[in-house]
Amino acid sequence: MKKYWWLGLVFIGAVILPLVIGEFWVHVAVEILIMGLFAVSFNMIFGYMGQLSFGHAAFYGVGAYATGILLVKASVPLPICLVASMIAAGICALIFGYFCVRLTGIYFAILTLAFGQLMYYIIFQWYSFTGGDDGLQGIVPPDFLFGATNYYYFTLGIVTAALIAMWYISRSPFGYTMRAIRDNADRTKFVGINVRKYMLINFVVAAMFAGLAGGLLGPFNRSIAPDLCNWHQSGIPVFMTVIGGPLGFLGPMIGSVIYTFLMAFVTGFTEYWPMVIGLIIILVVLFIPGGVLGLVEAKAEIFRSKHMASGAEESGHTESP
Amino acid sequence: MDISLIFAQFMSGLSRGMMLFLIASGLSLIFGVMNILNFAHATLWLAGAYFCYTFWSLMQDYGFGMWVSIFLAALSLAAIGWVIEVVLIRRVYNRDLSEQLLLTYGLILVIGDLIKLTWGVEDKFIARPPLVASPVFLFGVPFDSYFIFVILIGFAVAFGLWYFLKKTRYGHIVRAAVFSREMVSALGIPIPRIYTGVFVLGIFIAGLAGAVQAPVGSITLGMDMAVIVQAFCVVVIGGFGSLLGTFVGSMIVGEVYAFSILLWPQGALVLIFIVTAFILIVRPWGLFGTPMRA
Repeated sequence: MKKYWWLGLVFIGAVILPLVIGEFWVHVAVEILIMGLFAVSFNMIFGYMGQLSFGHAAFYGVGAYATGILLVKASVPLPICLVASMIAAGICALIFGYFCVRLTGIYFAILTLAFGQLMYYIIFQWYSFTGGDDGLQGIVPPDFLFGATNYYYFTLGIVTAALIAMWYISRSPFGYTMRAIRDNADRTKFVGINVRKYMLINFVVAAMFAGLAGGLLGPFNRSIAPDLCNWHQSGIPVFMTVIGGPLGFLGPMIGSVIYTFLMAFVTGFTEYWPMVIGLIIILVVLFIPGGVLGLVEAKAEIFRSKHMASGAEESGHTESP
Repeated sequence: MDISLIFAQFMSGLSRGMMLFLIASGLSLIFGVMNILNFAHATLWLAGAYFCYTFWSLMQDYGFGMWVSIFLAALSLAAIGWVIEVVLIRRVYNRDLSEQLLLTYGLILVIGDLIKLTWGVEDKFIARPPLVASPVFLFGVPFDSYFIFVILIGFAVAFGLWYFLKKTRYGHIVRAAVFSREMVSALGIPIPRIYTGVFVLGIFIAGLAGAVQAPVGSITLGMDMAVIVQAFCVVVIGGFGSLLGTFVGSMIVGEVYAFSILLWPQGALVLIFIVTAFILIVRPWGLFGTPMRA
């Protein structure tokens, strides 16, 4: 546990953050946390199960709509709404996932995409329940969360708890089973593990955390729209994960920091944000395939081997998560 | 429901299906041969429509303007496709699926914004020449005469691709490359050149499809977003890399859409995704495809 002391520093930094930055950047920080949670949950499927989901936004959207509808139409307390978001996303994932885990590779990607679009068009067309393409307005958080800073601390607490939960899942025997399935599904099957069942559980758990992220978004934005479910939205966690590095647990979170910060910065002076991020995506894919974490680790490796070669002592260095 | 209404819906489904076939055939060809799923296909299709508009507005005083523009737009897109293949796609042949998808996803964003920069945000219209401007009556049912042209182009592209793949030497090489890259390159045939050729051909057809679409209605930013997933559906239903499958898949999606608009308008698009998901679950390689090599 000792080698993760710097995570404590990051957390303390996150707690102090709103005291030193302006309100605009607090908003950006909330978005970083929400999108980061979304991306880390995506990586449970991508990094740990080895399947590319291009419909993860469906669960994010379902979560957002569950909280939004309960808050607006029934004035249910927010914490209960968030639990409902997780359950709603989980149920959806159970239905979709039942079919998705039968496929792998490109078929998995396209089936998740098709289910994602199915969800999108259901929300888009169902005016009486979801508000259709008008979206859902007036999603107001409770009074004590009204200000940006308060909502930031609320989100920070929930996202941290969710990350710790996912971290434990990834370190548990279940998490290692997922890695085994990723690396060789056939062998895992021969060991006596029900591969499809494990994949389905993982799919559902990942979707529940995506639903939680979606639930946090509505009261923060005060409104939601069906575009949250569109396949376009599903590309964002893919990119965050690739830029941050899929093999580190926090890689997608780092990707979210980079993506969301850049977006806030770039949209400040040009409306052509998609072009900027599109170029960055292309450059990252072409030139830094391992993501930022991969890059840092490779550099650290070079540094370390040079260190060794020069005959210096040093043995305390350890890998970062 | 009387017979003429059914006929009208059938014709509308047929022309919609032909449009989808024009888009999906290039997508399917590129995927079947190169194993690369081109997310940006519909965005290039949209670029084809805008190119057609520009050429047309330069030549609008002449009656043949629109026909020539359609051809020129397709050629322009072929050139753009060549640049994209040589500069970008070639570098990711052997990379992970996620990286290939992300690359073409990035292309969507860049090309989409380039279109917005070049042509602005207003919708664009093309005035059709008199030959295809007014409706014709088929069995007493009015039918947009331009769609007859669309259907003819669809059949022409289908026949042309079939002839190319089955009857010409280059077509045989392309089909051989689908089954074994190693064997084809062992025979001394340069695989990268084949791939570039296939990609350019696919984007040429996408550009042609966009240009053919342009005079149908207005040309609008963001039109590509709904089209690309429908094209994916077509390819999935028919089977990756199968020309016949893509054709049948397009007709299924076109007709399902046309008839569900009549019976259950809100559910039309939902139904298409249900059909797609069903096919993927029971027969992932599609109706006419063959199970893929790993």
